[in-house]
Amino acid sequence: MPRNARIAALVVVVALLTLLPFVGGDYYIYLFVLVFINVILAASLRPSLSCGQLNIGHSAFMCIGAYTSALLAKDLGLPFELSLLGGAALAAAVGLGIGYPSLRLRGVYFAMVTVAFVEAVRLIASIWVPLTRGNAGLSGVPKPSILGMTLVTKTSQYYLGLALMLVVLVILGKLERSRLGLVWKSIGLADNLAQSLGVNIANYKLLAFTLGCFFAGVAGAFYAHFIRFLFPPEFGFLLATNILIYNFVGGRGHFAGPIVGAVFLSLLSEPFRGSAYETIFYSIVMLLTILFLPGGLITLPGKLAGLRWWKGAASESPSSAA
Amino acid sequence: MGASVEALHFQMTPALLVQSTVIGLSIGSIYILMALGLTLMFGMMHIINFAHGAVYMLGAFVIYYVFFQWGAPYFAAFVVAMLVLGAFGYLVERSIYRPIKGGIEPTLVALLALTTLLQAAGYPVFGTLDKHVPPVFSGTRNVLGVMISVERLMIIPVAGVLVVSLYLFINKTRMGAAMRAIEQDKEAAALQGVNVNVVNGLAFAVGFALAAAAGALMAPIFKLDPMMGEQPLLKAFIIIILGGLGSIPGAILGGLILGLIDSIVATALGAEPAFLLSFVFIILLLLFRPTGLFGHAP
Repeated sequence: MPRNARIAALVVVVALLTLLPFVGGDYYIYLFVLVFINVILAASLRPSLSCGQLNIGHSAFMCIGAYTSALLAKDLGLPFELSLLGGAALAAAVGLGIGYPSLRLRGVYFAMVTVAFVEAVRLIASIWVPLTRGNAGLSGVPKPSILGMTLVTKTSQYYLGLALMLVVLVILGKLERSRLGLVWKSIGLADNLAQSLGVNIANYKLLAFTLGCFFAGVAGAFYAHFIRFLFPPEFGFLLATNILIYNFVGGRGHFAGPIVGAVFLSLLSEPFRGSAYETIFYSIVMLLTILFLPGGLITLPGKLAGLRWWKGAASESPSSAA
Repeated sequence: MGASVEALHFQMTPALLVQSTVIGLSIGSIYILMALGLTLMFGMMHIINFAHGAVYMLGAFVIYYVFFQWGAPYFAAFVVAMLVLGAFGYLVERSIYRPIKGGIEPTLVALLALTTLLQAAGYPVFGTLDKHVPPVFSGTRNVLGVMISVERLMIIPVAGVLVVSLYLFINKTRMGAAMRAIEQDKEAAALQGVNVNVVNGLAFAVGFALAAAAGALMAPIFKLDPMMGEQPLLKAFIIIILGGLGSIPGAILGGLILGLIDSIVATALGAEPAFLLSFVFIILLLLFRPTGLFGHAP
């Protein structure tokens, strides 16, 4: 797509999202805030995926951000801006601690460590009852506030969510287009070659991973103050798998991939939300995508165009032969 | 997983030590069955089968239906579980692993999706209530002065027979030789006339059958639910990291060590702290000895 068309499309999407609370009711507001959170989670996994690290534990960092921010605000009375930053910072710090030993390893070890890690974090959240209230759940998380003003209505919280998502996407998009993004991509394509050209791949991988953890923490913190109730099992292996699925269903070849995947799957699975059928739907879409559309949904328009061209060519060739 | 004893006023008596050692050996045998398939498949295809825990779960449910609901003899149900899920493993290789030529990551994600699919489908198919299989072997045996249930003791010889059979299969048969050839060098094996696809399919079948056997052995001991495979899967991950990915002796030794640590720590602290401790152990291991205790390049 040419640059102007792309900018125009973006403006239209943002304008529609801005108008949504005026036309849709509370249900749509709630639904789209969850979509925004999923988009942040999906996009924040992209840097570490693009350097070839399969992180199957991303929800653990969302969990850390959510609990930290909720507890800072609820028990210590910190304003939302600080508690959100605190949650994101702790998620990033833990990411650094886990990432340092495991990122030096190649993909499969790393994937296994992240799976075990997501279970470990979920267990800590359920066992450490004095701090997290365990499996009874943490309720009464304060509503988000900005500059001392509490955002009471769901509509105002919707705009906060929209703004957060846009900020995160702009930052991640800029990073991907910068030299840093190129280095990440080069590591994903050929890490040995990148290393031989003088790229310190371990440091760059660690940076991608830690950055992803930071933004997962942001998503978690906003989630905590929006839903206002935290329950450890929600942050398990299943959510982590979903975040990966957003990336693979949307497509890994372009920055828009995880965004498309998250929006598409979160909206289409809405009729089954919370039931086993939601997971069944996600899994089947994932398997079908990997088997039949390996580049993900973002390659679909190109494939369809190619198909039409091929059909056109096929129908023309007999006539030209005759 | 397992019985958790409150840590309050805890004292490790010799009797308790014998008991947790025997239970550790039986749990360790289950972990070994899980880890062997994983490590075999990793050695040949460089993939981690995330669906292994779901296959364990399915193995347990085969026992529930074939043995408990339909009244077949336990060992017949056990063989059915291994055969049916072994065939399923071959099918997974044929329909998921083989068509994906795009490398390791899409394969791993597809296996993850298969895992969540099997787990989630378990709820509508098997029902949401926990299932229980009645004990197959009743009574207890006296082991060094401690009474242990025969149910748990029986796991050790059955798993032992399976491990020895796998060892003989890999080292003494033509198919086993083909597997070892693929593990060493896939291209060279193919050039020597090894049908790589079929042998990979066989490795899937063997791995799935072993996981099914582990689930079938555990069915009479723990409650059954669609998520029951997660814990043994994570334990198997820890074991193969401990033993070195792709190493079969490493998986056996790692399984024994983890089973013992697990059972003794779980008796002392409870099951959840025991899991956390094993996770800390992984991180430390990766920091200081990333190739596993028994070497094998990552």
